[in-house]
Amino acid sequence: MTDSRPPAPMRNEFPLLARNPGLIYLDNAATTQKPACVLDAEREFYETANANVHRASHRLAVAATGAFESARATVAHFLNATTPNEVVFTRGTTEAINLVARSWGQASLRPGDEIVLTELEHHANIVPWQFVAQATCATIRAARIARDGTLDMEHFHSLLSPRTRLVGCTLASNAIGTMPPIAEIVAAAHAHGARVLVDAAQAVAHQPVDVQALGADFCVFSGHKVYGPTGIGALWAREDILQAMPPWQGGGEMIDRVSFAGSTFAPAPARFEAGTPPIAQAVGLAAALEWLIQQDRAALLAHENALRIRLENGLKHMPGVQIVGPNTDKAPLTALRFAHAHPFDVAQFLDNHDIAVRVGQHCAQPLLQALGESSLLRVSFAAYNTEDEIDRFLAALEETLELLA
Amino acid sequence: MNTPLSIPEIEERLHSCAGWEAKSRMLVQLSRELPAYPETDRTEENRVSGCESQVWLKLGWNNGALELATDSDSRIIKGLLALVYAAYRGRSPEAVRDFDFDGWLAGMGLTRLLTASRSNGLKAIVTHIRSSASEI
Ligand SMILES: Cc1ncc(COP(=O)(O)O)c(C=O)c1O
Repeated sequence: MTDSRPPAPMRNEFPLLARNPGLIYLDNAATTQKPACVLDAEREFYETANANVHRASHRLAVAATGAFESARATVAHFLNATTPNEVVFTRGTTEAINLVARSWGQASLRPGDEIVLTELEHHANIVPWQFVAQATCATIRAARIARDGTLDMEHFHSLLSPRTRLVGCTLASNAIGTMPPIAEIVAAAHAHGARVLVDAAQAVAHQPVDVQALGADFCVFSGHKVYGPTGIGALWAREDILQAMPPWQGGGEMIDRVSFAGSTFAPAPARFEAGTPPIAQAVGLAAALEWLIQQDRAALLAHENALRIRLENGLKHMPGVQIVGPNTDKAPLTALRFAHAHPFDVAQFLDNHDIAVRVGQHCAQPLLQALGESSLLRVSFAAYNTEDEIDRFLAALEETLELLA
Repeated sequence: MNTPLSIPEIEERLHSCAGWEAKSRMLVQLSRELPAYPETDRTEENRVSGCESQVWLKLGWNNGALELATDSDSRIIKGLLALVYAAYRGRSPEAVRDFDFDGWLAGMGLTRLLTASRSNGLKAIVTHIRSSASEI
């Protein structure tokens, strides 16, 4: 048995968890809690450097711009981007995908072109493509999943053709955890001349994401799922692709010259950051990423996986409980269905034990339809969870299922 | 002894529950007391959309009194539907319009479930019942 206690009493670094000693927070795939250093960084920014960025040249404005651009450099370093110019700040994953779909998609897609997605995708990696497909008369095709929740790679390959212009794929399913073979997907898409967008929202908190090693063209994530603030996330795009993309929102900061006859636009990434950006949130995100980089990430991932396996082993002998999704190559989360209880009821009773989990369709309705499920209960882990929490979860679940039987 | 699933009886039973665990258990108990939903009415038309759980609702008016059958595959939602049933079944359109359902649940300390129920169609059901009373 591996020792899966976190290296340090990490829970104390998270003010919300420290204030709620009884809380068992297992909804980390929805959003993670924030370490004190992230909250401190935002506060410190407001107390020492608050000004608008890229505008004035007074002392504070220089400090604010410096903090904001240094946050961009931290994101670039975190993703192993070749330059901070490849990083566009967005509100999160959703806005980043909308940006690519609107800007790159509108400019590049022609009638009859195809966008290949997978049934594993979050709605955020489906709906923006539907908008642009409608506007450009392109077609969306979805790679199927197999019964066990893995991606049907044979079907995926069969969808690729010279018409394929973009492949959009998640690094990990937020609903059932599946991690599709991304290297094979990127290589196959590129062999057909397609661009690849990788949704790293569920991966960044758990595994290093190296955009150069991935070889993709676009990569997106949200700060709030990686111990950072809400309201901030990033799009990484290969520099040549980003520089060739047209702007998508107009306003201040993104222009070169404006006259009523027309405007010329700033180079990327400024071109894609119209208006005042979420400056303090970017600073908070950088603090979160620096915090994570300082951890022994391999040990954290091993710990999170050990928690998942402890949970799944504990569930094996519980009658009426079924794990949905694969049991290897998955993010640290477990999706459950119950033979004799509704997931919503189970979650309500777990909540009475101060255990937070998520139920429903997890913004992945095509996936749940493909699985033939109407609602799943999801238990998702972060670095601060403990073995003891898993044991208490298992006991509470057993009691709940008896009560609801 | 009050009639089953009447307003005073439900108030009494829920007031005797201290804490969430007891209240949740009581809702599960109440779900078992809701009259069986007719299988022939389990139609697409009677399905309340936008719910996390499956919810069915069939309404009718008989001599100016509301007739109501409802069901859910979630025990807690079904327990809340038992409260809807107790609050509205057999009432006149005026009584339906005048009844403050949210206030009643809040009075029994069920506000937390009311918030959660927003995504579970309870609000939609109460709105639907009230608009049916306004149309008659
Ligand atoms: C895989 C995946 N993609 C996209 C998103 C959307 O992220 P956000 O809501 O932060 O924009 C999520 C969040 O649930 C997700 O899990």
